[in-house]
Amino acid sequence: MAQSSALPAEQYNYDIVRKFTIMAMVWAVLGMSVGVYIASELAWPFLNYDIPQLTFGRLRPVHTTLVIFGFGGSALFATSYYVVQRTCQARLAFPWLAEFTFWGWTGGVALGALTYVSGITQGREYAEFEWPLDIAITLVWVSYFAVYVETLRRRSQPHIYVANWFYLAFILAVALLHIFNNLAVPVSLTKSYSLFAGVQDAMTQWWYGHNAVGFFLTAAFLGMMYYFVPKQAGRPVYSYRLSIIHFWALIFLYMWAGGHHLHWTSLPDWVSTLAATFSIILLMPSWGGMINGIMTLSGAWDKLRSDPIMLFLITSLSFYGMSTFEGPLMSLKSVNALSHYTDWTVGHVHSGALGWVALVSFGSFYHLIPRLWDTKMYSEKLIYIHFWLATIGIVLYITSLWVAGIGQGLMLRSFDDYGNLAYTFIETVEFMHTPYVWRALGGAFFVAGVLVMVYNMAMTLRAAGRERVDEEARLAAKLAKA
Amino acid sequence: MRHEHIETNSGLMILLILAVISIGGLVEIVPLFYINETIEKVEGVRPNTPLELRGRDIYIREGCYLCHSQQIRPFRDEWLRYGHYSLAAESQYDHPFQWGSKRTGPDLARLGGKYSNQWHVQHLKAPRSVVPQSIMPNYPWLLATNLDTSDVADRMRALRATGVPYSLTQAEYDANVKKFGQTVANQLDISQAQDNLLKEARDQNFDGIPGQVTEMEALVAYLQSLGTMVDFTQYNDDAFVKFR
Amino acid sequence: MFDWLQWFTHMEHSKPLALVLFFGAFCGVLIYVFTGKNRAKRLESYKYMPLDEEEPQRPELDGFARDDRRARIETNPIPQGDGQ
Repeated sequence: MAQSSALPAEQYNYDIVRKFTIMAMVWAVLGMSVGVYIASELAWPFLNYDIPQLTFGRLRPVHTTLVIFGFGGSALFATSYYVVQRTCQARLAFPWLAEFTFWGWTGGVALGALTYVSGITQGREYAEFEWPLDIAITLVWVSYFAVYVETLRRRSQPHIYVANWFYLAFILAVALLHIFNNLAVPVSLTKSYSLFAGVQDAMTQWWYGHNAVGFFLTAAFLGMMYYFVPKQAGRPVYSYRLSIIHFWALIFLYMWAGGHHLHWTSLPDWVSTLAATFSIILLMPSWGGMINGIMTLSGAWDKLRSDPIMLFLITSLSFYGMSTFEGPLMSLKSVNALSHYTDWTVGHVHSGALGWVALVSFGSFYHLIPRLWDTKMYSEKLIYIHFWLATIGIVLYITSLWVAGIGQGLMLRSFDDYGNLAYTFIETVEFMHTPYVWRALGGAFFVAGVLVMVYNMAMTLRAAGRERVDEEARLAAKLAKA
Repeated sequence: MRHEHIETNSGLMILLILAVISIGGLVEIVPLFYINETIEKVEGVRPNTPLELRGRDIYIREGCYLCHSQQIRPFRDEWLRYGHYSLAAESQYDHPFQWGSKRTGPDLARLGGKYSNQWHVQHLKAPRSVVPQSIMPNYPWLLATNLDTSDVADRMRALRATGVPYSLTQAEYDANVKKFGQTVANQLDISQAQDNLLKEARDQNFDGIPGQVTEMEALVAYLQSLGTMVDFTQYNDDAFVKFR
Repeated sequence: MFDWLQWFTHMEHSKPLALVLFFGAFCGVLIYVFTGKNRAKRLESYKYMPLDEEEPQRPELDGFARDDRRARIETNPIPQGDGQ
């Protein structure tokens, strides 16, 4: 390891963590910018420019894939590889396989985006990858599992720390979901038809879709929370016993909740009732996790005033609490009758995705970056600026979509004095223009925050590079003298 | 048994996690494949013709499902706006299902027959020329691109493998005649796929351009078929309630 | 006398039965985790795991380069001419 001779001899494999961290930020900028663009297309449809590759229908999967799998996935790879090494006090197993997960995942996400704009898609939300990419992703995932579990097995600690339970459940559940939801019969390299049809297909897809939220965007990020919140606070997690209850209850209950995406459809009533029931019970473990995270700071609340990284982490938990309250509410059949098919759902997803997933990742990265590159963050002020841009962005985003969603829902179901429909569909589209403009603006704020972070990170890495050169020069001089 | 046993044994932990996460899915999904009541017995629902099938592929390719649902819920406003609520039977040949999750535009489950072919062509080419407030993208390339019909038989063969009754053998064809009648059975015959497609395009001329089969042709054919297969006047209002 | 066992053989009772089983298991875990002083102490002792890693804690990384430089400039004013 000649090139890193100036770094303290690395006990752990940080190289792979650095790669995934950088890619996570690249995907964040790309994916979120596409998001702002398609949000603008809804406000100003001329932006579709009659170019097939730019239309909303083709770019929307690009946005969701780049942010969920690109940004979120890379953030999870980075932090899980870091956390598993640190808490097991063992170097990452199978370094070449870990390297493969990096190139495989990055290549898979990039190819996915290219195929979507070319119109190659399975037509399943959040699982648009066509079958060859699905197989490639499965290989990457199996490798990830092998690396992760073998590192766990090589631990020099008797115990597996709670953060790893969540990462492990995430890896297992996503494997299960990915394989069953993508069963298909291929026609050619670029086209396949799903094995299931109609109502069974719908249930399989939303079992997948909801648990992609439950395990990819929740359980795994809770793993992140369980390591980085205590580390940044310098104090242990509030209650280890609560984390045991919260872990098993969460992974058990999530798997039942998917049917609430199909209320009032041709899905048999018993399934959606069952799903709604479990969605409401799910509030308890979700809040258990939130309380466990936030109360870690109990007795050290002043850190919120002095530490912007803590601000990111605790705010993310607050948004997590908010969206896990909103979710069960929307899974009630009576509320869902209004909210389903509207932008309320989109707003709900983003209060989770931006407020929880993205903020907890940013907070963890701000903790991680100095340790990975063995230097200090460039600027504290820029972290504060990032925090406020992000928070203002999220608030604008979700409030405008509350207006759009609830407004449209109410308009569609209102009748005039004669019992006729009070509004045509297109009148609701007209009504949504103003909220759509505000939503795009909220998204733009959030992306601006990410750009500030990228700048802060770039300056930090540049300084780290300079420090290393200086160090090497000093070492060389010393050697020459000797 | 202490929780420590689990915490200190990665194999045991993996097994327990797998057990705990499997229960929910098994209970909710597996019965759907076995309980007869999931799908209503109704007359008229048939697989797509070759031309409609190609139109459906384009519908998926362009991501139409991201803004349009094909699933009407049993509410008064939806009944007035879109028609009878959707039945599970109506999407029994849909691989993948296209129920959608968001209505940025209106539901399309019963779009078929509501507008003329000419209206659809104009609307897809330039939506704001017929609905000024619309925010739908223009799809001019559908009219400018000829439909690739070369692999339609392959596509039907793949769908047959998933269980859609497209016929390859005489026995399958006869079964289709019995189930759907002669005319439909002919359309489902894979060996005739390309001829059937061209004939339907020639006869109906969905895109308004004689002698040419564009992607628009297939898409409009598909849109005009949506929700038209079940004749709801034949059924009592309560006939489907027990399936819900 | 054992007629009540018949209740379990009816399929329509599977749902309440499953509910009771799952809820019972949940209560069991709850009681196990939250009772017993020794058990509590033992379980809570594991939460310090991420805080006592082998690698030394490095609080010096928690500062910020730009702010430090500013501090440096303020405390050590730029040297005025060094004899040139």
